[in-house]
Amino acid sequence: MGKEPGILSTIACNLDADILSAAFPLLDEGRVEAIEWSFDTLYWAAEIPSWFTDLLLAYSQQNRLIGHGVFFSLLSGKWTKEQQHWLEQLKQLASQYSFDQITEHFGFFTGQNFHSGAPLHVPYTSATLRIGQDRLSRIYEACQCPVGLENLAFSYSLDEVKQHGEFLDKLVAPVNGFLILDLHNLYCQLHNFAISYEDLITLYPLERVREIHISGGSWEASVLEPEKKIRRDTHDDAVPEEVFQLLALTIPKCPNLRYVVLEQLGNGLKTESSRIRFRQDFLKMEALVQKSRSSLSRDVDNLFLPVQPLQKGPAVEDDMLHSQQLQLSHILETAPSYEDARQLLLASSLAGSAWKVESWEPHMLETAVSIAQKWKQ
Amino acid sequence: MKLPKALLGAILVGITVQTTGCTQEELPGPRTEQGGEKGKEVVKVPDNCTACGMG
Repeated sequence: MGKEPGILSTIACNLDADILSAAFPLLDEGRVEAIEWSFDTLYWAAEIPSWFTDLLLAYSQQNRLIGHGVFFSLLSGKWTKEQQHWLEQLKQLASQYSFDQITEHFGFFTGQNFHSGAPLHVPYTSATLRIGQDRLSRIYEACQCPVGLENLAFSYSLDEVKQHGEFLDKLVAPVNGFLILDLHNLYCQLHNFAISYEDLITLYPLERVREIHISGGSWEASVLEPEKKIRRDTHDDAVPEEVFQLLALTIPKCPNLRYVVLEQLGNGLKTESSRIRFRQDFLKMEALVQKSRSSLSRDVDNLFLPVQPLQKGPAVEDDMLHSQQLQLSHILETAPSYEDARQLLLASSLAGSAWKVESWEPHMLETAVSIAQKWKQ
Repeated sequence: MKLPKALLGAILVGITVQTTGCTQEELPGPRTEQGGEKGKEVVKVPDNCTACGMG
């Protein structure tokens, strides 16, 4: 057991002029203790500027570079050549940089195009569990470092919200992986499903939380329920005070926490005032992290590496799940209204199945249609 | 974590003249692939890049 070097104040840092401009004064002052890079967002670029590579290497050499995948579509029912290519790219990058950990998101992508779509929920079944465990094992084989999974903001029902933490725990168990607890995602769920923090947080395996995300989001009106506003995880605004309060409450509950990451979209950082606010958010986050350092004494007791050899074999697939995901994607992307989407779902193979479409909250189905059609545009 | 001054200087120049965001139109050396209309070369860029936010 070694002494844990402490929780690191981290920013999500990609090759984006607005993010880098906002973060530059923090980098210049030496305040950014680690960076999280969404490595698969640059697969499109034939050439990465050498200064950006040098920035990544500077953190990599201190074991303070963490990789955050976006496009793997972990819980798609069918194994695709894009996923295989993603793994090959990851393996190559892992030989170039020393990632301290690699993470991905829960869910599957709507959309036929691998790079257009939104991540959505899947039912918690033995089939989705097998697929998720298989994919996480493949990610570990490619990167050879701790692997983790982020909680999803979007859910269709309160039951899904309550069971999310337990299912994430089962998914990462074979690779002895960890969780990213995205507190803005949690905030979305607290608001959208009217559940208390105290009730929800205890349903997560907090000893597996190695990373916390904080970010901003936006409110969306519901046509179905005009008095209700839906909270969405759009990463395009400053961090709400409520999320900072969640951070202060949650850090002491996570004995294996190593990274607290401020995420914000570049398109929300185009004005000087938004960049100043970003830096203020970072300093606020940093203060909470430093406060926890002085009050918490922690030893590393979980390296989050597999404790036994991982099973190898053909990629796990499920034709029925794949077919249902295609049907759901098509319905969400093309239905002209919530009511049309509901009728189409009830006439699809998702009806009467583990998807439990009959109990989906109307305002969340309405939101799912909105999300899917936004990304399809 | 302290970064070397030379690196900070290079980043500053880079974000001024080189960097582009996912949604900006001018991208540095994007890969191209066949498959556009009538086999034309199309630029493959991550439109609506969800890396930037998950909707």
